[in-house]
Amino acid sequence: MTTSVLEAAVVESSRERLQDVLIIDADVHVHESPTEMAAYAEMPWRLALETAGTLPERYLDLPGFSPGAAELGPKFPGGQGPARMVKTASQMREELHKLSINVAVLFPDHLLKLAVITQKEYAAAVARAYNAWLIDRWLTRAPGLLGCLIAAPQDPENAAQEIAKYAKEPGVVGVYLPTAGVDPLWGDRKYDSIYQAAQDADLPVMLHAVQLVHPVFPFQVQGFDTELARHALAHTFSMMANLVSMVTTGVMVRFPHLRICFTEAGISWVPFIINRLDKEYLERRREVPFLVNRPSHYIRKFYFGTQPVEEPESPMDLVTLTKLYGGEDTTVFASDWPHHDFDHPIKVYQLPFSPEVRRKILAENAMRLFKIDAQGYRTNT
Amino acid sequence: MAQQREAIAVAPLADFPDGSHKVVKINGREVGIFNVGGTFHALPNLCPHQLGPLCLGRVSGTLDRRPETGWQLQWIHDGEIVTCPWHGMEYHISTGQCLAYPEVRLRTYEVWVEDGMVMLRK
Ligand code: FES
Repeated sequence: MTTSVLEAAVVESSRERLQDVLIIDADVHVHESPTEMAAYAEMPWRLALETAGTLPERYLDLPGFSPGAAELGPKFPGGQGPARMVKTASQMREELHKLSINVAVLFPDHLLKLAVITQKEYAAAVARAYNAWLIDRWLTRAPGLLGCLIAAPQDPENAAQEIAKYAKEPGVVGVYLPTAGVDPLWGDRKYDSIYQAAQDADLPVMLHAVQLVHPVFPFQVQGFDTELARHALAHTFSMMANLVSMVTTGVMVRFPHLRICFTEAGISWVPFIINRLDKEYLERRREVPFLVNRPSHYIRKFYFGTQPVEEPESPMDLVTLTKLYGGEDTTVFASDWPHHDFDHPIKVYQLPFSPEVRRKILAENAMRLFKIDAQGYRTNT
Repeated sequence: MAQQREAIAVAPLADFPDGSHKVVKINGREVGIFNVGGTFHALPNLCPHQLGPLCLGRVSGTLDRRPETGWQLQWIHDGEIVTCPWHGMEYHISTGQCLAYPEVRLRTYEVWVEDGMVMLRK
């Protein structure tokens, strides 16, 4: 290989224009090594992380850390090539610079699967170690890198304490809710302490899943022949299921100032779910009497990440889809760098939005969601 | 007056063993040069999808399964397909045809071997 993957992609003509645009990215991923994180963990969990670090690592698949078989189908030669990973803050800054991304919000790699760890104490210890490691190794090392605390759903009280502890941390701009394999769904009242803490800290909660085959709704996707089928539905179904769960238990009624964002499922499912819920509501309102208006009235205040942005033959369709859920003010650009289905900002930049809406989606909506300025400094500490 | 486009010596033939491919920079333009079974092909290193560096991808074959073959899974085009490392779109190296989108076909460059050098016309 004579040039690196990103170097080769620099296309002067298109890139020039992108560089003039402020781009805030609501979702990029750091590669967390259990060995590095061990230094931030208490005993005896430190030993568990050190031990996980000695085991052979496969992509998003490490025993005792991110358990579960990632690949179900046969492996053939060729294909997309090895998984990309970002292991240091300086590597991240450099790569985001090449992608013309000014400010980015960091999420984990392996710990996308935190919710499937069965032991409550261990899950909470891993979350604490990750939060401390992320702040020390990433958020305080390079400008423009912001991060989300991870909230272990296994131990909501502990997650709430973590949120309170780091509420004023300059680089912390959100709380990541692991959504792959989470049980019960995020609307359950069991999680109220997390929402209370996030609302008190004025930090948004960010739902993020990963494709998984797991015996928990809606991840029982083993019935599909192909990864195409599993991947098409796993992210989207989990966002739908959790949105429906949160709306129908009234999370946004219990926590009216909480900002909620759904990521990595594209946007075309949002008009669908709004219309389904509004239809059900007219018949079954008395099950959800705390809703004083149609579900869509609430869902229009939720935020949605663009990635993996749909690519209809007519790009205008995306403009229409966005309008259908009032998404001009609530859609935030997300690249998902460096993952296999990341979106280059050029893809969203080129959509036929008005200049005003384009600016909102590429940056301004994210500034409101995360309460940051254009440089990525928090405006609420 | 029609002008013959310039022929450029890319690299010695020895740099391109059978089955290999490389990206070279020619007048600021990145071109992927492929040796597929002794025949040379050249494609732009720019994926029309999201401008990824497609010629840095892996070269391999691909899978087929259709009514004409009784729905049997088959390995086809071995060594003739390049897969973009960004999102995995596949292209047929000799024609530039994108396998997923019938309407997408990359331009190809004229490339040949002369006096032990791989030559390319811009
Ligand atoms: S840029 Fe090549 S597949 Fe997306």
